[in-house]
Amino acid sequence: MNKYTLSKRQAVNELSTFYSFLAGFLIALVIGSIILLIQEKNPIDTFSLMFKLSIGSVNSLSSSLNKATPLILAGLGIAIINTVKLWNIGAEGQIFMGAIGVNLFYINSNLSNPTILIFLLLLSAFIGGAFCILIPALAKVLFGVNEIITTLLTNYIVIGLTIYLVNGPWKDPNSLNFPAAAYVGKEVYLPTMFGKLSYGFLICIIFTALAHYLKNKSVFGYEMRIAGGSEMTAIYAGINAKQKAFFAMLIGGGFAGLAGGVELLSQTHRVSTGISQGFGYTAIIVAAITGMRPIGIFLVGTLFGALSIGGSVIQTIGVSTYIADIIQASTLFGALVIQFFFNYKLLRVDDD
Amino acid sequence: MNNKILETKNITKSFGTLKALDNVSFNLYEGKIHGLLGENGAGKSSLMNVLSGLYHPEKGSIYIKNQKYKISNPDFASKLGIGMVHQEFRLVESFSIKDNLTLSRSNIYIDNFKTAYKKYSEIFALNVREDEAVSNLSVGEKQKIEIMKLIFNNSNIMLLDEPTAVLTPQETLQLKNSLVTLAKEDMKTIVLITHKLKEIREFTEIVSVLRNGKMVSNDLLTQEVSNNQLINLMMGKVKKSQINKNNEIGDIKLEVKSVTSKDPVNNIKKLDDINFQIRSGEILGLAGVSGNGQVELANLIAGIEKNFEGKIIINNNDVSNKGVKSRKKLNLSYIPENRLGVGLAPGVSVLDNSIVKDYFQTKLGPHLSKNRTVKYLENLINQFSIKAPNPKAEISTLSGGNMQKLLMGRELIGNPDVIIASQPTRGLDVNAVEAIHNLLITQRNKGSAIFLISEDLDELFKLSHKLLVIYEGKVIKSFSTSESDIESIGLAMAGIGE
Repeated sequence: MNKYTLSKRQAVNELSTFYSFLAGFLIALVIGSIILLIQEKNPIDTFSLMFKLSIGSVNSLSSSLNKATPLILAGLGIAIINTVKLWNIGAEGQIFMGAIGVNLFYINSNLSNPTILIFLLLLSAFIGGAFCILIPALAKVLFGVNEIITTLLTNYIVIGLTIYLVNGPWKDPNSLNFPAAAYVGKEVYLPTMFGKLSYGFLICIIFTALAHYLKNKSVFGYEMRIAGGSEMTAIYAGINAKQKAFFAMLIGGGFAGLAGGVELLSQTHRVSTGISQGFGYTAIIVAAITGMRPIGIFLVGTLFGALSIGGSVIQTIGVSTYIADIIQASTLFGALVIQFFFNYKLLRVDDD
Repeated sequence: MNNKILETKNITKSFGTLKALDNVSFNLYEGKIHGLLGENGAGKSSLMNVLSGLYHPEKGSIYIKNQKYKISNPDFASKLGIGMVHQEFRLVESFSIKDNLTLSRSNIYIDNFKTAYKKYSEIFALNVREDEAVSNLSVGEKQKIEIMKLIFNNSNIMLLDEPTAVLTPQETLQLKNSLVTLAKEDMKTIVLITHKLKEIREFTEIVSVLRNGKMVSNDLLTQEVSNNQLINLMMGKVKKSQINKNNEIGDIKLEVKSVTSKDPVNNIKKLDDINFQIRSGEILGLAGVSGNGQVELANLIAGIEKNFEGKIIINNNDVSNKGVKSRKKLNLSYIPENRLGVGLAPGVSVLDNSIVKDYFQTKLGPHLSKNRTVKYLENLINQFSIKAPNPKAEISTLSGGNMQKLLMGRELIGNPDVIIASQPTRGLDVNAVEAIHNLLITQRNKGSAIFLISEDLDELFKLSHKLLVIYEGKVIKSFSTSESDIESIGLAMAGIGE
């Protein structure tokens, strides 16, 4: 009888992640097309319309990039934490906490210089995100509690906290009973660079570079990689593995918090339950597709931002926005399957 | 010796090119306690795994009560009455004692569990209620449950793989009494795998010796064979070749003063009053069967473990309370026994692994300059002729020999004052062993003080000026390699002091 076994490949092509992504994206387009055909829509027309409406003009392109910004920032946070081989499922909560941090600082400060104020508000967003992951981080390094569970659970807590705040203490009397906090003043809105493109995108570029440096070029990144590879090797090298894991988690949480802060200051301008539309979850897909590479996250995040914009506008021709979600999720699925065959080969063995 | 219960004939089992068992014939007699003696890697566990159905031999046959069987899996072995206690326990921690004992389908005391449990609790001197969760038991108690599990599964042939390794002396004595009772009253046939001569003497009636996968002696009556004979059988001929040892010896580089450490869980002494010093240009060997405190001692000197009493002095600096990095800065290198997992980080690139020792030094730059790290690796590759074509490739794509060369090179390139080399050649082929030995000799001639921890007497004899023998955490003897005989070192390693 013949059996099949998987054997790990010795050398994996360096561009394999990129090829897997391309293949995954193609698979996703095929899946999307099938669903469109079932609905009796022409996939080519639909996709070209999505393309046109997401990057066809300066305005649509800037909308796409604005949409990509929180995805990329949160994805970077996930990638930094994964350097120590830990998973952050809590980016969604950290985004909310970043926005809460902004509002908390805003309503309690009486600074008049808007530039400094914006800077400090963004810092509060970062701290908010870091604070959000503090308990999972402590639980991980002190007691070894699985961070996947704890970061996921903090999402529900923080979203609950947001609902409480916008219905209670922070509720805006002028919001016509819509559960939301009051708008922040126009002076702290992030200005636009051109078209509708917010300076938030510039922050996103800067933080991509920062994450790339931190992960791949710095001593701290090196220590994180060793700690992620083997805790014993870290101890042997004189690296405090637990400390690295702790700080990696706080920094990663901060990145996601910043995503919430930028989103508030550039798009929603107030705290509500609509601060994030699942950015924190989509960011996991983005980070996973790229093999946790910051520059890859920037590129795929941009594509996914465009897909979301494209998905939301094709409603006008009677196609559900969920087609964009299906394409995003199928891309990850396809890419993971293809990546698997880059990493392993299937061997036939003869049973005795 | 009339009731032969089990017999193996010409069992051969290979892994790749390595013959773990080579034509092994072996007998077991009903109601006797047998010793199976051999060094690490001699094939003891392989043979037991064949009997318990985990390994399938390529050649040879097994007879139980004169009937031939092919033992295809552990379940079938258990039906034939063969059961094994592995070194790592196989208990369901969250289950109660009762649930663990009655888990197997072949268990025979499901109806009268209480009487049986009472009877065997007495034999094992176990004072725990049957509904206690196994996770609450001590290591010694867990082992009793493991052995009891065999009885409850109606195993008449009980294979115990180094059962005393985890026990205190009192517990060992207790185990002996229980096993004697089981053999005598229940007619259980027991095999004790060990490399401790003392236990062979105290526990067993019959002893067999394995060496390099071959059964060198079978069916010896323990009473009729001397310790020296057993040691000779176990170790065979040791090459007494030695390198030139008249090199220049300098100042004291490493000093270990009354180092004692205890296991925090059960308070057993892992190291007991260790004292030695090594001078520049000197190689001090530490002989001993692994698991006698060598890893703990090496980790204490390197600063990985910190919980101990006594003093460690490197280059005249007392580093007892210092961390790993400050010891490295005093030019200490450590080649750990566990290459992949401690010395090298799996899942991380060759390049990252090559700078583990020096990454925090200024020569690689505060930003971990890629150019400098790549040059650092290239230098290692050239100097130590390492085959590592792709710096970005994951470390485990290298062969064992190249991994060890990378690790050694990384630790030796800074011309260290003190080197701890723990089992540096274990599992390597002849050429790689030679290369590693030459590296150590070159380094010795450059004036390093080398602490060589090994189980391989050939290696220790060849390289070291002086030899210490460690047994159960104690240095029980010290020898000069120029004027000592192998037998007494072997006896000391097996726990027989003078």
